Amino acid sequence: MSEFISSLILPAIILLAGSFMFFSKKDYFGAFCSGAKDGLSTSVKLLPSLCAIMVALKMFSVSGAVELFTGFLAPIGEKIGVPAEIFPLLITRPVSGSASNGAFAELIERFGPDSFPSLCAAILMGSSDTMIYVIAVYFSGTGVRHTRHTFPVAIAVMLFCIFLSCFICRVFFT
Amino acid sequence: MLGKCFFIICVVSVICAAATGNLSQLSNAVIDGASSSVELTLALAGNMCLWCGIMEVLRRAGAVEKLSLLLSPILRHVFPHSWKNNVAKGEITAAISANMLGIGNAATPFAIDAMRKMQENNPDKDTATDDMVTLAVLGTSSVNILPTTLVALRRSVGSAAPFRIILPIWICSSACAVFGMTLSRTLAKCKKSISKSQLRKE
Repeated sequence: MSEFISSLILPAIILLAGSFMFFSKKDYFGAFCSGAKDGLSTSVKLLPSLCAIMVALKMFSVSGAVELFTGFLAPIGEKIGVPAEIFPLLITRPVSGSASNGAFAELIERFGPDSFPSLCAAILMGSSDTMIYVIAVYFSGTGVRHTRHTFPVAIAVMLFCIFLSCFICRVFFT
Repeated sequence: MLGKCFFIICVVSVICAAATGNLSQLSNAVIDGASSSVELTLALAGNMCLWCGIMEVLRRAGAVEKLSLLLSPILRHVFPHSWKNNVAKGEITAAISANMLGIGNAATPFAIDAMRKMQENNPDKDTATDDMVTLAVLGTSSVNILPTTLVALRRSVGSAAPFRIILPIWICSSACAVFGMTLSRTLAKCKKSISKSQLRKE
């Protein structure tokens, strides 16, 4: 049911915009084009900073940092109720969307989709986003140099999200 | 700040690569990253065109205003400055609702557009405003009503009940979003009292 609803959302929005173009005498297609032009020029402005960030993130994902950090942090995580199995996911989640999707797919395949680590991982995936990428993309069009408390708060939310997803998972499924 | 972020990630990568003997792959990753940023921009450009165009149509038709009225009882307190000065209200609302519905492809263009409009009204072009920070934080931790991809993935590997994660995700993602909003607003208020612009006024 939820899949059905969400597959309807996009067509509905497009049809809504299209119906204005069809039924109204105003130049809504012209409006679309002028909006699209703004969008295009904004997205070109993103490339310079996105280039730097993507290089850094790619370097991170091939450097073996994920395995190293998993080795260091997993024993600590175990003590506070975060299963060691989800650490590769935890470390890739803020950095890369495709890498964390890959880590999640591997996790549910290896331990089964209804095992405790997989359920924790699913809740975490549903409640968090690729933090560094999102912040970089949001700010790179603006030319702001000082993002003030953006990173500290985002990191705090990420940590909170990790603990909370494992805690909620324990409450719901054990 | 992004510069610092860039440097930290690079240093950590080089150290880790040296420690694990992956140094040879690092140079490939640099080239790879640079070219994938172009692919990403191209993909994003298509989405930006589509969604900014649709946004413009819906704005001229008055639909965006109705949507932002609907959510404004909540968002007025989350983005007080934008609501007071009537800046980017529609874009912020659209970005938040697209994030909640799980259409990230649309949420990112809306949010970028909102950031751009807020920046136009930003008196200090070098420094992010409170509302810009809040929007970025909410972009990293939004309420997720329809986690479709996750459900589909779980089903594809044969889960007995692929939908059982939905209620926990609602609770967890709302709690994270509220936590992020509160923290961001609180810090904004704390820092405001000692901020430069305040000193200049006095």
